[in-house]
Amino acid sequence: MKTLFTLALATLIPAMSFAAGGGAAPVEQDWSFKGITPDWDKEQLLRGYTVATQVCMSCHSFKYISHRNLMKAKFTEADVKALAADMDLGINDKLISQLTAEDAKAVYGKSIPDLSLMNKARGNGADYVFALLTGYEDGVPAKYAHDFENGLPDGGYFNHAFPGHVIAMPQPLNDDQVEYRDGTSATVEQMAKDVTYFMQWTAEPELLARKKLGVYIMLYLFIFTALAYALKRQIWKDVH
Amino acid sequence: MSKSNTQKAIEWFDYRLPIFSFMKHSAVEYPTPKNLSYMWNFGSLAGIALVLQILTGIFLAMHYKPDVNLAFDSIQHIMRDVNSGWLIRNMHMVGASFFFIVVYIHMARGMYYGSYKGPREVLWWMGVIIFFLMMATAFMGYVLPWGQMSFWGATVITNLLSVIPFVGEHVVIWLWGGYSVGDATLNRFFSLHYLLPFVIFAVVFLHLWALHTHKSNNPVGIDLKKDTDFIPFHPYYTIKDIFGLGVYLIPFTFMVCYAPEYLGHPDNYIPADPMVTPAHIVPEWYFLPFYAILRAVPDKLFGVIAMVAAIAILFVLPWLDSSKVRSARFRPLFRPLLILFFANMFVLGWVGAKPPEGIYITIGRLATFYHFAFFLILPLVGMFEKPKPVPKSL
Repeated sequence: MKTLFTLALATLIPAMSFAAGGGAAPVEQDWSFKGITPDWDKEQLLRGYTVATQVCMSCHSFKYISHRNLMKAKFTEADVKALAADMDLGINDKLISQLTAEDAKAVYGKSIPDLSLMNKARGNGADYVFALLTGYEDGVPAKYAHDFENGLPDGGYFNHAFPGHVIAMPQPLNDDQVEYRDGTSATVEQMAKDVTYFMQWTAEPELLARKKLGVYIMLYLFIFTALAYALKRQIWKDVH
Repeated sequence: MSKSNTQKAIEWFDYRLPIFSFMKHSAVEYPTPKNLSYMWNFGSLAGIALVLQILTGIFLAMHYKPDVNLAFDSIQHIMRDVNSGWLIRNMHMVGASFFFIVVYIHMARGMYYGSYKGPREVLWWMGVIIFFLMMATAFMGYVLPWGQMSFWGATVITNLLSVIPFVGEHVVIWLWGGYSVGDATLNRFFSLHYLLPFVIFAVVFLHLWALHTHKSNNPVGIDLKKDTDFIPFHPYYTIKDIFGLGVYLIPFTFMVCYAPEYLGHPDNYIPADPMVTPAHIVPEWYFLPFYAILRAVPDKLFGVIAMVAAIAILFVLPWLDSSKVRSARFRPLFRPLLILFFANMFVLGWVGAKPPEGIYITIGRLATFYHFAFFLILPLVGMFEKPKPVPKSL
């Protein structure tokens, strides 16, 4: 029965995971928020914020995020007040795009998703978002030509990561599109990385607290369980 | 020796409402077989998992809003604004999966050691009823966040009832409270999701009542007659259950803090949209084996019947199994068939997660066939099997 149980657990874990449908599996990136005790990189968050507010927000909103939320990620009240003022926003105002849902529908033929939760709403999360942002091609690459004999459909753009490879969003990032406050060179890859990082924070602002608490609970439980086991042995020693 | 005032107060109360005697009788002195393995830990773990779900659920309900326009946002409110809201929600989410893992192991243990056999048939029935109630509760709970998978899962599953002859369509509309899954559906699912756990709690009480009437089965599966075969529940099994709880909470905490979304589906972080159907609609992992059985049958009506029967057949298991021997340890034919049955459950679960096409259909049908064949050949197994010698006592 014991071996049975181990066997069951061993098969259970892979059986539970689902493959993400659609495009090719994105390349795994080395994100600093992975691991057991990560910490937000304030510089990178700020760079991601710059891309998010100056590029993404032309069309997309972050409706669950206000500047005040950044105070939970190392930004001071003075920081967020200055950032909000630059956008003519109060620190409690949510990051809502100027583009209305009706206009979006008129231009792109579909509604535009909110980005707050995007990293949680797609299989492979941040890796997928990064792959998508860096996965554009001008026209259809030769390898896929046979899938698009009549070229790309109207209003469609080729993207390696997007399921089906045709995406309605035009390539959002171009080199030197923004000017970073810290002087980092704004390449497409750099901006994609930064904004994906920022979006991980918007999707899971509790990430640090969660992982930090986990360490303490786990440590406590290891000790608790070891003591419980010792006590169990002690109590049971005369039972035959 | 004179009695302390506390003792006197307890006795005064106990004479009028014997709650202290009851506790002492059923949780302290309660005679328990001394040879129970760790597989017997999963009953108490299931009880703790239920209580954890109820407690976290009560707090979630204080912040959740069962309205199609507010539900999704209210979950984000819990995750972002409510103090420790993310912790409570992750515990509830992961807790549901862990509750099922524990209950599946508990059921498997019951099958392996023949715990369903006389005189414990009613105890087994209560367990099957709890399992059905759990599935209903979990299904409705998954609808509440009102994501894409919530909405489409609810649509697919409630639509199954439309196969009921003559009245099916009406039943579905009645259940929805409208002509599609909508605000009325969400509201009533929330109401029932809050109610059913307490119904489960009541059936658990009956389950324990039946258990305590004839006491636990044991790995050898024989009726224990000697007093020396038993030990008092406290401290022996209280400490063993506490240790088991620690072992359980370690992976539980790991999932809550490091992989809370692992068992979920990313589509459920997209707000429900009746106009956009997800590429693959998959139920939660714990339903996958039964989802596979549903899809294995080409006819919709018989598919639904097969899915329900796949679980309901457990009600008659005590009579299908004709062997007098309880424990699979002594049953050379039953044991491999049962292990294959367990393995087959994993195959069904795997098929349930795949799109219903090509080879998966064939595998799904074979696995479905074996699932039922296992139960239906049990009367013969008992007749032809030569059990190994069963010890008379421990």
